[in-house]
Amino acid sequence: MRLGLAGALLGATLLAGTANAADKRWDGADDLPVNPLACAAGEAAAPAAAKPYDGGQPTNAPDKAGKPISLVDVPKLIGIGYFNATSKGMQDAAKELGNVTVKTDGPTEAKIDEQIKFIDNYITSGVDGILFAANDPVAIAPVLKKALSKGIHVIGYDANSTPDAREWFVNQAEFNGIAKAMIDSMAKEAGEDKGFAIVTSTFTTPNQARWIAEMWAYAEKCHPKLKWLETVEAQEDNNLSFNQATTLINKYGDRLSGLFGMTSVATPASAEAVTKAKLCGKVAVVGLATPNAMKPYVNADCVKSVVLWNPVDLGYAATYVARAVVDGKLKPGATSVDAGKLGKLNVVNGSEILLGAPFIFTKQNIKDFDF
Amino acid sequence: MSVMTVPSSRADPRRIFKALASQEALLAIAVIGLAIAVGLYNPRFLAARNLSDVLLGNAYIAVAAIGMSMVIISGNIDISVGALIGVLATLSGTLAVKGVPIIVTWLAPLVAGILIMGLQGVVIAYLRIPAIVVTLGMLSILKGGLISVTGGKWITDLPDSFHLADLELLGSVPMPVFLMIAATILAAWWMHDSAPGRAIYAVGGNAEAARLCGISQPRTVVMVFALHGLFAGVAALLYATQLRVIQSTVPPNLELTVITASVVGGVSILGGVGTVIGSTLAAILIAEIASALVFIDLSPYWIRAVQGMLILATVIADILRRRRMTGA
Repeated sequence: MRLGLAGALLGATLLAGTANAADKRWDGADDLPVNPLACAAGEAAAPAAAKPYDGGQPTNAPDKAGKPISLVDVPKLIGIGYFNATSKGMQDAAKELGNVTVKTDGPTEAKIDEQIKFIDNYITSGVDGILFAANDPVAIAPVLKKALSKGIHVIGYDANSTPDAREWFVNQAEFNGIAKAMIDSMAKEAGEDKGFAIVTSTFTTPNQARWIAEMWAYAEKCHPKLKWLETVEAQEDNNLSFNQATTLINKYGDRLSGLFGMTSVATPASAEAVTKAKLCGKVAVVGLATPNAMKPYVNADCVKSVVLWNPVDLGYAATYVARAVVDGKLKPGATSVDAGKLGKLNVVNGSEILLGAPFIFTKQNIKDFDF
Repeated sequence: MSVMTVPSSRADPRRIFKALASQEALLAIAVIGLAIAVGLYNPRFLAARNLSDVLLGNAYIAVAAIGMSMVIISGNIDISVGALIGVLATLSGTLAVKGVPIIVTWLAPLVAGILIMGLQGVVIAYLRIPAIVVTLGMLSILKGGLISVTGGKWITDLPDSFHLADLELLGSVPMPVFLMIAATILAAWWMHDSAPGRAIYAVGGNAEAARLCGISQPRTVVMVFALHGLFAGVAALLYATQLRVIQSTVPPNLELTVITASVVGGVSILGGVGTVIGSTLAAILIAEIASALVFIDLSPYWIRAVQGMLILATVIADILRRRRMTGA
């Protein structure tokens, strides 16, 4: 009787599920409008749906155009590889510009209350500008507004605040830019007409769903022969990601030529699954991940492209933006800003500066990063 | 005095094992039946490689479920095991990165597991605080402590020799699968044939009767938790050494999966009944279902629902069986 009950329940579940699966594609994308970039390699500017400037402005900021300025950088926390890299980019930019000094200082843990204290202290001691990566977009707003009210310039990078609490935000990557980099890398490594599957966190995680939707749109437009096999969920769980990637490999066999990792957890786990299946070179792994977790696979030639952004460039751009603001070269309504060796960066979403195409870590450059 | 004479119909070993043989047989049939059914739909499921991957990737859950089964059979529960496995994996990986001899990095999680779980056992047994309260507290301590100490930073750059789970015995049996099978057989034999092993059933089945038989309930509970810590340590080791990255966070819902394996394996939530052969088979079944869902193109959303139904079906069956027994 026990057997009958359990069997009936299980059977009913499976039947119901199969009926559902027939008319639904489990692709993990959301339903929001997509904006795929142009297929050509060069970064074609997204047709900016000209959103008006929505940042805040400092009151009575002293005119220091062309004069030396001192900036303070308050990241989410200090002492980790990622923010060491942004800090290095700021020092690089300061050295190039010659009339900027930047000091990085902040909490040793990513705590918003600590971060607010640091910013408050620097407002009191007096600086020309504050660069920040917010631990909380809303909670940080009051202290940033206080800085603006004292005539201090405020520029965000990496993690935004509410727009009116800072003048500009340097945005490291837009969804369609990441999508393009991912799909282009996959088409190049796996082949234009090959099949691939996706390991994501959950179908409802906003960022991942957005990226996948943009990937669909871009692939349809630029690599229409790629075959989308399946998307599986793996939470943000190392072992589950590994198991799911392994299952996909076993299920599709030769039909699977590529795996996308949509999270920094799923990507190394997918690479491990491909390594364990001895399919390096046969199944390409492309994904979002941080360099340290991917070094073993990149160095072993199992993974060729790790998509993210370059935090050194991010810090570098933030410093150039601060200088341009002080010099009056970047005003509300501007459409681009000159950022030294990075060239002209575009203004998007009203008051954001887009860092540009995502950065791709490869065997040649991954050793230069430690985060 | 021998445990065999416990004067309770519920704790009568012959009846228990008779009943359980069927639970284990049921699970074995389910494991094989599911494999055949899914294999008919998609023959690739039956490839040796896939079946061994299902075992390989989930062996740590079966190992953790051995300890969990002992805890539940003794009439207790532990919801801190997922957090503990996260902490022990991080401990082991941290030592490995620091260059500590590999054997120490492998033994440390076992020792730490025994100490932390043993401590919980002491609090539960001697201070008479319900296990669910103690282990809930420990869950928070371990979870919060892990984040505070590591800052959520991942452990990378692990030495190659650290990866115990990559070893193969006799050239073909992966270490996780070997440990799972060996631990299951040893634990099943020990629980079935040794006095301390039998004491676990006695304490969980009828604490008063066990006391009258001269079994120290507190000592048995501490022993059970210490052993549970040992198995959690082995599970953490497999968990930590399988991939090249240790996340330094608590694996989501791991304690639930482990408890599910025990309960579906026929371990009675009321204590006193169950075997680790059942829990290992159940862990395999759950892993097999997760893999099967992908193979039959079913939304992975179903995995939780199916797990939930398995638990409900097993618990309802357990309660009906008990009613029939006591009513007879």
